[in-house]
Parts: sequence; C-alpha cells; structure tokens
Amino acid sequence: MSIQARTLRDTGVGRWGPLSVAAGAALLAIVAVGIAAYSQQLIHGEVVTGLRDWGTQGGSPWGLYIAFVVYFIGVSFAGISIAALVRLLRIEALQPITRMAELLTIVSLVLGAFSVLADLGQPLRGITNLFRYARPQSPFFGTFSLVMAGYLFASLVYFYLAGRRDAYLLAQEPSRLQWFYRWWAAGYRDTPAQRARHERTSFLLAIAILPLLVTAHSTLGLVFGLMGGRPGWFSALQAPGFVVLAGVSGLGHIAVMAALVRWLLPSTREQIRPATFRLLGIFLMVLGMIYLYFTLIEVLTAGYAAHEREQELVALLLWGTYAPYFWAGTVGLGAAVTIGLVQGLRGSWNIGAVVAMGILVNIAAIAKRLIIVTPSLTHGSLLPYGHGVYIPTWVEVAIIVGLMSLGALAILAFSKLFPIVPLESEHAS
Amino acid sequence: MPKYAMTIDLARCMGCRACMVACKVENNTPEEQFWMYVFRLEEGEFPDTRLTFLPRPCQHCDNAPCVKVCPVGARYKREDGIVLTDFQRCIGCRYCEVACPYGVNYFHWKSPKKGQYLNWNKDAEVKERGNGETPPWHNPDHDRRYGEERRLTAGAVHYKGVMGKCTFCVHRVEKGLEPACVANCPVRVFEFGDLEDPESTVSRKLRESNRFRLLEDVGTEPRVFYLNGQPPTSEHRQLDAVKGGKKG
Repeated sequence: MSIQARTLRDTGVGRWGPLSVAAGAALLAIVAVGIAAYSQQLIHGEVVTGLRDWGTQGGSPWGLYIAFVVYFIGVSFAGISIAALVRLLRIEALQPITRMAELLTIVSLVLGAFSVLADLGQPLRGITNLFRYARPQSPFFGTFSLVMAGYLFASLVYFYLAGRRDAYLLAQEPSRLQWFYRWWAAGYRDTPAQRARHERTSFLLAIAILPLLVTAHSTLGLVFGLMGGRPGWFSALQAPGFVVLAGVSGLGHIAVMAALVRWLLPSTREQIRPATFRLLGIFLMVLGMIYLYFTLIEVLTAGYAAHEREQELVALLLWGTYAPYFWAGTVGLGAAVTIGLVQGLRGSWNIGAVVAMGILVNIAAIAKRLIIVTPSLTHGSLLPYGHGVYIPTWVEVAIIVGLMSLGALAILAFSKLFPIVPLESEHAS
Repeated sequence: MPKYAMTIDLARCMGCRACMVACKVENNTPEEQFWMYVFRLEEGEFPDTRLTFLPRPCQHCDNAPCVKVCPVGARYKREDGIVLTDFQRCIGCRYCEVACPYGVNYFHWKSPKKGQYLNWNKDAEVKERGNGETPPWHNPDHDRRYGEERRLTAGAVHYKGVMGKCTFCVHRVEKGLEPACVANCPVRVFEFGDLEDPESTVSRKLRESNRFRLLEDVGTEPRVFYLNGQPPTSEHRQLDAVKGGKKG
C-alpha cells in the first residue's frame, strides 16, 4: 500500500529546480511591483488611478478593478464544475485535474476578493462594514456572502477532504513535510469503510455546492443587470451571460493549466490523457457557442428598436470606441469555437489546439469583462452630459498583473508542497 | 415629520450658476466636484437655436437606486426625505454612483485638503476680518451629527475614499435655513419646503405650475420638481460643460 519513491519524486513535490526558482523569483518581483503600486493608491487615494466620476468629470467610476473582480470570480467556475462533473456524472477522464481545478477556484476567488479591496476607497472599512452592516437588498451582498464566503468556504472544505487520501499516502514516507501530510490526513487511513464514507461525503458535498455554481455567478451578473438607470447593463441576459462566460474562462484556464502541468511533470502524462482535453474542448466549444448566441441576441435586442441610448451603446461596441474590445472578444470566442468544431468534425482532439482554445477564450473573456463595465459609464448617461473617457493608469495595471502573479506563485508553491495531480496507487480502480 | 421637496422654476433660470458657487462655498466640496450643477443646453440648428438651463442637484428620490444598492447602508434616506451619505460607514465601492441615473455622486478621489480654496493661516485679510483670529477652515456645522440617526453626513472633505453628494444642506435645514443654492439664487429659481404643509411655497407652486421630474420613466420618484419647462431630450447639446477631472 506504499507508494513507490519514484512516484513521489516525480510529482515535483519538494523539488525546486532552476526553472521553478526562476519562475518563482520573477513572479515575486511582479508581485512586489503590484504592492508598490497599491501603496501609492493607499497613500494618495484613488486619484492615482484612471478612474473618475461619470457625469461632469467625464470619467468612469468603475474600471479595471471591477472588470477583474468579475474575471477572477469567473475563472473560479472551473473547480466546482469539474469536481461536480466527476462526482455526479462519474467522468473519470477529468479525475486527474480535479485538484488543480479546485486549487484554481480557491486562488482565483481570493484574487477576486483582493480586486474588490483594490477597488474600495476605504478597504479596511470594507472588511469590517461589509459584515457589520450587510444589506441583503444590495446586489453586492451575493458577491460577499455567496461568492466570497459560501463558494470559497465550500471549495476549501472540498479541497481539503479530497486531498486526505494523498496526504495519508505521503505521510507514510519520511520527509520534511511529513507532519504537514499527517495533519492533512487527520486520521484518514484509506480503509474500505473510510473510502466509502469519503465517496459519500464528496458526492453529497458536490450536490450541495452545485447550486452555488449558478447562484454565485448570477449574483455577480445581477450587480450590473439590475441597474434600471444604466443603458447597456439593464438586461435579463446579464446573469445567465455571467454564468456561461464564467464557465468559458474557467474551463479555458484549466485546459491551459493541465497542459502546462503535463508538460512540466512527465510522470502525469499517464493520467492527464488526451481524453481529458477532448472533454474540456467539447465543454469549451458548447459554452462558447452559447455565449456567442447570447451576444447576438443582446446586440439585436439593444440595436433593433430599443431606447436611443441602448442603440448608441451598441454602435459604440460594433464600430465605435469600444469596437476593438468587442471584436477581440467575439472573434476570440468565435475562433475558439471554430477550432473546437473542426476537431469535433474530424473526430480527433489535439492537446495544443485545446490549449489554443483556452488562451483565446480567456483573452475574449477579459475583453468582454472590460466592455461590460465601462461603456455604460462613459457613454450611457440618460442626461445630456458629455461622453467620458477611461484609460487605466500604471497603478491599476500593476495591481492587476501583480494579483495574477500572486495567483501563479500560490499555485507554484502549492505544487511543491503537495502533488498537484492526485496520486495513483495499485488499488485505485 | 416634514416631507421635504424642492421646486426648480426653469422659466426663471438664466444659467448664471450662482447656485453652483454657493454650494461649493457652503459645502467646501473638492475641486472639480459639483453637488449642484447647471446644464446650459442648446437645441436646434443655427439660426433657429434655443438655450435652456437645467439645474441638477441630487434628486433625493423616494425610490432611490443609490440607497437600494449600498451594501452597508451608508447611503440612506431620512424620514423627512433627505438622502444622505454616512461618511464614517461608506466603504467607497461607488456602487451608488453607478446606480444613480442622474450623475450626482462625487467620490473623494484624494485626501481632503484643509483650506483648499484659501490659505486661512497666511491670508492677512482673513485675520483682519476675523478681528485678529483665524476663522475655522470649514464650517464647524459640518462636523455635527444630524437627525435621529446622529450620523456624520454634512459637508464634504471629511475622508478620502468615500462618496459625497448634495445633502440639501442638511446642516442648514436642521437650523431652519434654506439650502445654500436656494438662498443664493438671484432670481428665486428654487423653492425648498414641506410637502405635508399645503400652505408651503413648494406645495403652492406644485399646485399652480406645469411640472415634470427628471427621468420619470426610470421609476426613481424624485423629490425635486421642475416647473414651467421641458425635460431635456437627446436633441439637447451641452454648452460650456465644466472641465472634467481627467488631469487629476
């Protein structure tokens, strides 16, 4: 019942090769720049950002930070959905990527929370007052309760429980981290009875957190969709659109990550097979198609015979100021869907092509997030104010890039502590 | 409990923007922020053009979107109808600002500057007028707490990173005075008063005049009523808009 030494060594745990050290150092440096940028914002206020009041100041009060709150939380879709698919539908090909998907969920939710804090004028008050004076009537409430608390907590519990078997296996061998694995295993010994109980718990937990997949991402869409006085936002399609785009970016992310792990850790190639990527490719393609359909309906509804401002905003997206973002988003998604279709019709899925899909949909998702947030604020006024401009400053960009690096660093560090792909043993059938 | 409302007689307004200045002086609002703003609007093609003016304070809506969306209840509506921001509770998320269709919210992007329009300590004239003493750099009434809730709501520049907007000059109303814009208008465009009192000037004017409220179809139910004029349309172009704050 012991794992072979080879297996443990090949998981990359505890080994910092030159590549890992270099990557870690580079990421740390970028995080440091982000911290420097944020300290500027703390000292001088958000005057150092490109954000300004809409209306007479001709700016946009929400920008990059909010776009990335939405993006990061969107990426978190990956973990829950894959865990649920594996548990509920028993899709074995996805089993090896459950842990990295859960990890991605946790990391991206934390990054989302940090982006919220970056956006707040009074971040410390945010931490206290959001709990002390929470108002369920505010669409923001869902972001803090369902997403940050419920979703993150459920993911952590799931992540912890699912890792106990590997922790037990790792604790069998002497290593510097033995105490950590023993602590994680917490008495779990992989006996048949325990395994059965573990299966049952995971199954029930998967069912319990599955509704969060829809509700959590919907609440984020409602932050925008419920604003009756904001042309371009007020739409019933906002919430379902958020759920689908979250799925697109989350699954795209996990496809890229799985390919990276597979490339860097040759021992995982047996587990993360082309079948895994085929499934991810199919899901990406289907969700991408749904989102393209949503985009078409949205443009048609707002552009056909709607309120004047709605029509102006559509024109702005199609051939105005925001056209580069709109078309980057739409063409990116379209290209990803096309790559998927070609592979599907040929009946053979290529890992490189699925990774390309993953990268394309994430570029598209970021572009879409930006044009959900700003156009309505700079050009959506119902009163005769002039049009606004929003150009992010280096501070905003540095903070966002710093957060991304922090996430990558966290995932890298975790992969050195614990196998990022669940271990296989003789009797795992 | 009074039910405060404001009427704005558009037939009287000549676009002098004295109300904007009065508001800035009274509330000590930061640069580039206009809790009261006056649109100068033009419509038609030369030579058939027409100028109109439209003052825009906070509308103090009965169904205020800003109050609805505030995640911490910092933006709230008092029983008398005044919509206020609790500067000590606001977390600075700016959700109220994006929810408001009128563009009346102004965020404190930078640290408040003491004596931002005049250096009280160095100006000899100020001392002379104050009989040798330096007057406080802003109205001490701003630091008081008003209403049943006793919350810090009056004036601007208390903290950075919080939201500010027109308060109907709550610190003046509590003393029985009119808001600064009302008191300083040279042609009496504004009236401020109690809707519950049928004899108040606002009640009388509302009975006697044609009236509309801004963006009525958004369902916000404003407490600011415009008299003797037309709502702005997309045919209106804004003339000499105040310069935006893009340069910081």
